[in-house]
Amino acid sequence: MNYEGYRTRKKGLLILAGIILLILGILSAGCSTAAEPSEVVAVPQATLPEPTDADASSDSSSEALVVTDGLGRSVSFDADPQRIISLAPSNTEILFAIGADGQVVGRDAYSDFPPEAMEIASIGDTYGDLNTEAIIALEPDLVLVAAITPIEQIEALTALGLKVYMVPNPMSFDDLFESLETIGRITGHESQAVALVADLAARVTAVESAVGGAEPVRVFYEVDGTDPTAPWTTGAGTFQQVLIEMVKGENIAADLGGWGSMNLEQIVERDPEVIIFGEGAWVPTTSESLSDRSGWEGISAVLNARVFGVDTNWIDRPGPRLVDALERFAKVIQPDRFE
Amino acid sequence: MKKDRSARWSWSAALLVLLSMALLNIAVGPVSLPFRDVMALLLGKLTSIPGEVNPTFAIILYSIRLPNMVLIALTGMALAGSGAAFQGLFRNPLADPYVIGVASGAGLGAVLAMAASWPADFLGMAVVPAAAFVGAILTVLLVYSIARVGRSTPVTTLILAGVAVSSFATAMTSLIMLLSTEELHRAVNWMVGGFSLGGWTPVLASIPYLAVGLFFLSLLGRPLNVLQFGDDQARQLGLNVERLKITLVIAASMVAATAVSFSGIIAFVGLVVPHVVRLLWGPDYRRLIPLAILMGGAFLLGADVIARVVLAPRALPVGLVTAAVGAPFFLYLLHRAKANVGFW
Repeated sequence: MNYEGYRTRKKGLLILAGIILLILGILSAGCSTAAEPSEVVAVPQATLPEPTDADASSDSSSEALVVTDGLGRSVSFDADPQRIISLAPSNTEILFAIGADGQVVGRDAYSDFPPEAMEIASIGDTYGDLNTEAIIALEPDLVLVAAITPIEQIEALTALGLKVYMVPNPMSFDDLFESLETIGRITGHESQAVALVADLAARVTAVESAVGGAEPVRVFYEVDGTDPTAPWTTGAGTFQQVLIEMVKGENIAADLGGWGSMNLEQIVERDPEVIIFGEGAWVPTTSESLSDRSGWEGISAVLNARVFGVDTNWIDRPGPRLVDALERFAKVIQPDRFE
Repeated sequence: MKKDRSARWSWSAALLVLLSMALLNIAVGPVSLPFRDVMALLLGKLTSIPGEVNPTFAIILYSIRLPNMVLIALTGMALAGSGAAFQGLFRNPLADPYVIGVASGAGLGAVLAMAASWPADFLGMAVVPAAAFVGAILTVLLVYSIARVGRSTPVTTLILAGVAVSSFATAMTSLIMLLSTEELHRAVNWMVGGFSLGGWTPVLASIPYLAVGLFFLSLLGRPLNVLQFGDDQARQLGLNVERLKITLVIAASMVAATAVSFSGIIAFVGLVVPHVVRLLWGPDYRRLIPLAILMGGAFLLGADVIARVVLAPRALPVGLVTAAVGAPFFLYLLHRAKANVGFW
């Protein structure tokens, strides 16, 4: 019995050691993947703003500017904010596009475009768990949040006395342009924002006139094909649907309403002529792999090799690159209009 | 004797239910195929007479519904057979295929494979089920070796070790998911309902494990009956209790791990179906295990039809339906059985 007891104890120790090794292994693997954002955190002070040049002149500084944000709250500005924190990749892209990048002192960990944005201090790894202390430490005079920011976060930041502006989610290009101009006004880059909008609007109009009167084309948009027998797609009420309809496509999942997974047999029956899949760092799908899937072989889009990837960041981040997405959709859905 | 008649009747009834569910499963879906065309396609394949049927229907039937039907049936069989065996082994009505760590081990394996982010689409997808299988088997072996006290494996230690190791594996899974945020949504997808690769590959890959495992489980009915008297008494009756336990654990875990690898963690089938069979046809494990296997296939086939049709074109995870439909049905049976005899 003593011997048995000794053996069990020895075995117990071995198992304990094994478990500890496993935890250490996973943690070290995790650290190596998480290393990238934390390195960025380490560099912050180098790129803090030198008060910007052009916008000092546009600062008329007579009366306070009052704007209504996406939550219906009035936010007033006495002067152009010089220490902005962007808590959404779309906001970061907009700030850079209108030339307000010099005023940005912090960003969320997902703001990775344009590449220069990566040089700005990152304050949080996930949307749900922002590092409030890091935000406060940067002493922002404006925090730009978006529809993806949890409402509790917005309330917490507001309660701390920070000026928080929520950029609404656009449901059309007009919405987007309005947001761009508002952010331009707030940050003192109105003329740049107006010029950007004029340029983007011209590109949208060009696409619209190119596809005018085109025959409708059946389109399937795949958000995620992890389960190829029931891939995730987007129906009515999503920007994908807006883009597809603007270029005279017909979303075969329109009746789904929002996001959801759709049975493969229904896709086969509705027989899309074009398949567009969201392309991103974590998406393993390629045109070839999608076409090779079992059961997909008879779909017109696969038979005619009209399966295309689109960078999901263009669509999922409601910023200036939505126009890139529109042009891409137009070229793959109505190719004969762009020869 | 009355018993023998009910026995023979139970086999044909279970087979009939399974076959009709199989037919229902391929005949009904979000896209309505005329029943005449389904039969023409099925018979046409057998007799190689080319039917004049819409080619889209042929693709839906041969490439989508048939392989899905076979995989679903096999999964249901594996879960119910494994659940019945674990309930007998643990002499506990709450045991299910996941009780000693198959599900949590498979989850850890799958998430590890996903976090490693494999390059190509197909390779990446085939790696996940394989890793889930390895994770499940390793977890069960770990639980078994922890639970061994000297030369015997008390049932209570086995369950407790299973609970502890499962919680640990689940914690590690969550940790990995938190650390690799980009893969998070694929991992969540897998945890919620697994994902089917589609086509015949998963069917062919799982058949060898399931055939061997289910065959062994079906043979273990008689010793399982003896085991119901308790370890000591079974030993006195001349049963090699330890050998029975290890055989049961290996066979039941292997089939459950295979099912989880290709179809995800589907709750309730392994718990409920053996009870239903027990309520209908009695607790004799010689019949209980094979009948649970047949009825498990039938149950999951039915649940799958509901999952595909009820919110079409939206697809639901089948595990959601097994729980939503299985629980009330189980309570109803329980209520009826309370009036007559005890049910365990």
